[in-house]
Amino acid sequence: MKVLEVTLDDDKEFINFFDKNYLFFQHHLLSITGEVSENIDKYLKEKELKYIVNIVLPKSQKASPKVEVPKEVAVPKEVAVPKVQEEKKDNLRVLDTLVRSGQELNISGDLLLLNRVNSGASINIKGNLIVTQIVEGAIRCYGNFMMLKASPKANIIFHDVEVENIHLEDKLNRVELKNNEIIITPVLKETNWG
Amino acid sequence: MGIIIAVISGKGGVGKTTTTANIGLGIALNGKKCVVVDFDIGQRNLDMILGLENRVVYDMVQVMDGEVKLKQALIKSKMSDNLEFLAASQTKDKSVLNSEKILNLVTELSKEFDFVILDAPAGIETGYEHTIEFADRAIIVVNPEVSSIRDADRAIGILDSKSQKVKDGGDVMKYLIINRIDARMVQSGEMLASEDILAILNIPLIGKIPEDKGIIDASNQGKPIILDNSSEAGKAYSRISARLCGQELPLENVELLKSGLMSKIKGMFK
Repeated sequence: MKVLEVTLDDDKEFINFFDKNYLFFQHHLLSITGEVSENIDKYLKEKELKYIVNIVLPKSQKASPKVEVPKEVAVPKEVAVPKVQEEKKDNLRVLDTLVRSGQELNISGDLLLLNRVNSGASINIKGNLIVTQIVEGAIRCYGNFMMLKASPKANIIFHDVEVENIHLEDKLNRVELKNNEIIITPVLKETNWG
Repeated sequence: MGIIIAVISGKGGVGKTTTTANIGLGIALNGKKCVVVDFDIGQRNLDMILGLENRVVYDMVQVMDGEVKLKQALIKSKMSDNLEFLAASQTKDKSVLNSEKILNLVTELSKEFDFVILDAPAGIETGYEHTIEFADRAIIVVNPEVSSIRDADRAIGILDSKSQKVKDGGDVMKYLIINRIDARMVQSGEMLASEDILAILNIPLIGKIPEDKGIIDASNQGKPIILDNSSEAGKAYSRISARLCGQELPLENVELLKSGLMSKIKGMFK
């Protein structure tokens, strides 16, 4: 059973989110923190979504990724490890080449890749990673965060945990580690890299 | 100096040799002097597809080793005076090749011909690396299916890192041919669409060839399909050859279904 933890502040925002992402979460159990109004209750029943309210679930190390309803979206917040960030400041590489099948990039710092990662290609990176086009190959990232959009064929591993691709399709997503848990936040606004 | 073109694919069975034969003949029919060389040492096929099976006396390994003169080993095609063929050795294996010998051979060929077309072996081993080593351009043949695309992607990666032109700071010009397109399967979404293939491989398209059952018979008979004016695949190869010779022709959309009587009738019942 997959569990989706949601914080409920604003009814409208909540309904809005599930209207958009219903397909992703229709088989999840929703663990809701906050007050469930009649309105929401009716909405969830209508959609046949199962849910529990204000219950603290035991947290396993390698739980399925938890998806948060982003309150402020688009611009990723600064990651709360400023020291590491400073060390890596001069260590950013920007590449706009296609990573082809059989190619392997081993990178110790951060990488901004402005092209595709094809099926059969792999990137191993110690720092943070942003890929602006679709990823179909393998990614191993040990940074504070990564931002990417991946095809179902891709193999994405973040801090030795395999990230389920279903959460990474369609849009650009931000993947990060918080309290030993992988958190995936969809970047909801269309990102135009121009 | 002539242009050296390697025909590559990564995966086997996608139509490299058929493409080499047809394009070689197509270029010759356009009035340019052209030689096709079979680089698939130990598994030669090109001689059969060109209908020259019984004419092979000497092969390229004997030429490279200096046992015979190049002129003795070149075989003139019956189909065009402009087309000649150099056979691969059937008895030796790929280990006989080395860079220096290949450079001498292709340099000598490019002095005599406008186009030197090299038919690469399948795979990405040394035989393949030697084929692309001194190429000015490469034709990449793919089928609209994922394994062919991934193998081609890998082959392009090796081309971009191991060819002499790239090592000298240049760039090998690349052209993509999408072979064996089945219009019906593309429309029903079972086959990859050209746009998706182009997005993955990111190289310019020079032509699309529809699936054509006539190709098997043409290969068996040793008469390349380009000679058959009624064949869609033959016409597609003619257009590609003309483009390689510098003519500008619009890309034909072979993925569109011909709206014949039958499909119209079927359409009424949808």
